[in-house]
Amino acid sequence: MSTSPGQWPFDTVLIANRGEIALRVIRTVHALGLRAAVVFHAADRGSPAVTTADAAVEITGETPVAAYLDGDQIIEAAKQTSAGAIHPGYGFLSENADFARAVEAAGIAFVGPKPEQIELMGDKVRARGFVEKSGFPVAPSAIEDDNPDDFVERAHAVGAPLLIKPSAGGGGKGMRIVRDLAVLETEIATARSEGQRYFGDGRLYAERFVENPRHIEVQVLGDAHGNVVHVFERECSVQRRFQKIVEESPAPALSQAEREQISETAAGIARAIGYRGAGTVEFIYGKGEFFFLEMNTRLQVEHPVTEEVTGIDLVAQQLAIAAGDKLDLEQAAITTKGHAIELRIYAEDPAAGYLPTTGPILRLIPPTGEHVRWDGGVVEGGAVTAAFDPMIAKLIVWGEDREQAIARARRALEATVLLGCQTNTAFLRALMDHPDFVAGEIHTGYLDAHPEVAESQPPDTATVERLLAAAALSVRPIRDVVDSTPTLHAAIGAWSN
Amino acid sequence: MHHAFKLEDNEQPMALSRSAHGYRLHLEDRVLPVNLHPEDDGSAILTVNGVSERVTVATHGDDVFIHCRGRNWHLRYAHPLERLAAALRGSEEDVLRAPMPGSIVRLEVAAGDAVSAGQTLLVMESMKMETTLAAPRDGTVAEIHFAIAQSFDRDAVLLTLEPNE
Repeated sequence: MSTSPGQWPFDTVLIANRGEIALRVIRTVHALGLRAAVVFHAADRGSPAVTTADAAVEITGETPVAAYLDGDQIIEAAKQTSAGAIHPGYGFLSENADFARAVEAAGIAFVGPKPEQIELMGDKVRARGFVEKSGFPVAPSAIEDDNPDDFVERAHAVGAPLLIKPSAGGGGKGMRIVRDLAVLETEIATARSEGQRYFGDGRLYAERFVENPRHIEVQVLGDAHGNVVHVFERECSVQRRFQKIVEESPAPALSQAEREQISETAAGIARAIGYRGAGTVEFIYGKGEFFFLEMNTRLQVEHPVTEEVTGIDLVAQQLAIAAGDKLDLEQAAITTKGHAIELRIYAEDPAAGYLPTTGPILRLIPPTGEHVRWDGGVVEGGAVTAAFDPMIAKLIVWGEDREQAIARARRALEATVLLGCQTNTAFLRALMDHPDFVAGEIHTGYLDAHPEVAESQPPDTATVERLLAAAALSVRPIRDVVDSTPTLHAAIGAWSN
Repeated sequence: MHHAFKLEDNEQPMALSRSAHGYRLHLEDRVLPVNLHPEDDGSAILTVNGVSERVTVATHGDDVFIHCRGRNWHLRYAHPLERLAAALRGSEEDVLRAPMPGSIVRLEVAAGDAVSAGQTLLVMESMKMETTLAAPRDGTVAEIHFAIAQSFDRDAVLLTLEPNE
């Protein structure tokens, strides 16, 4: 970074987010010698992000989520804390062009892309068109315009299997795979009404569905001066309900030549946009071919795997870009070393269809050790509530190679003490042992193909004995009965040796 | 006195007694010397049949959470009287309970409707995610206990079916 200490155009950064990502951004803000401010809803009072920040402003809303989506209150909070920049984290307002515009109109730097870039990439139809026109590969597709009848015909022409998605969609909501063109029309009607319900926008697009697709995405950085670099790729190898659980870098699927090709393609797309900030260009990869899927104009949940293999702090880069600095990274100097894996720790029950769970965090002892990184958002004494996403933390491990990274992941998952609510740690541990995962035979439909990974593993007899002993010796009703009656025992002789 | 813990849907009967050197765990077919020694760091050394290992235990009412052998486990103390009462109360299959806190976003049935096992009864929302709840058995809807958008806690009874003859 060319910005040296004391030369920042702002000395306070307001983080418009909560939990794990707020803490992660605060860490870098502090490392750069800047002050961190956060906004918080009452549901997060006393949370680690609030107690770690230098200043915290309470925001209100009909629901906790609504509070974090209220841009006006957040900009007001930035003014109150004299913040010269707002970092939106991910989710909430990170891809909201109106918010970005309002932030800049208030004379505050938005840590993210230009509003028009958010708009262009946020509309999947426009984004695809732009990428295709710029000469980059997109999957055969049909885009719905004002003529829905014509859309059915064109979707038919793309051919089966086919994926229908809401244009305004995200997170897998309203997506449908059509393998039999005979039901195409009904599926389109259903997808349209779902898109309308979820996003208030019934427009669709259909594209060729790649069977057992692998999801490869490339991290890019661009500055306000037209410089763009890529920071290599990640593979989002295991997903459930279209939500990622495991990410790794480098992608096990790719050869070195393919890595370079896909990374340079992503950089080319970012360059064509004149992209400013950190972003991720996503591709579908299968049978040696890759197609542009979409671009996320924000920092992503899985950014740490890129940081671990490249040694680049992506949040520090984002802040320097927002400060107007020129990128100080030369493409040729960006290299990767070893292998990193990120596992998302969710409060959920994998055996019950990954149903979210809630509960108090009675004990939390994150794993430690060399090359084990824990990006958490909750602490002991906190709780997992139904108000937000069920992600508790991210566990990131690094190894000299994939094998070592997996071994470290196993060990770290076993060492994670998280008591009070159900989590997916045992499931992730089973996944790290699954032969196909170990072999790198992974794709986005992996868990559908291997439902056995999610089945809960019953404890063996020795473990049941231990659990019963520990439980019996800890629960008051039993201890009270056993410990308060030695004289009675002695009197009746029933329990004496 | 006999007790039981629920562990992954299985009821595990057991009893505990004092011995000269600590405690004895009485299981169906065996008796094991056991002890739990708390450590300064919040963990504990559990000894079963002479073998010691480190565990971490946290209790919350009748819920016991244990980190043991590389996994986090949940056990629930089953009160003897409540187990008896539950046995007399009739079938758990008569009620649809909330698997987690949330609110109802959609009702697919009304009181008086005949339903069959597995049929969708309602859709609830929690943690920004929708979950479909299905009928536990064939029957007739007796009552729906919450209106759309009303929020509830985990285990709340959302809907009851007429008891079976």
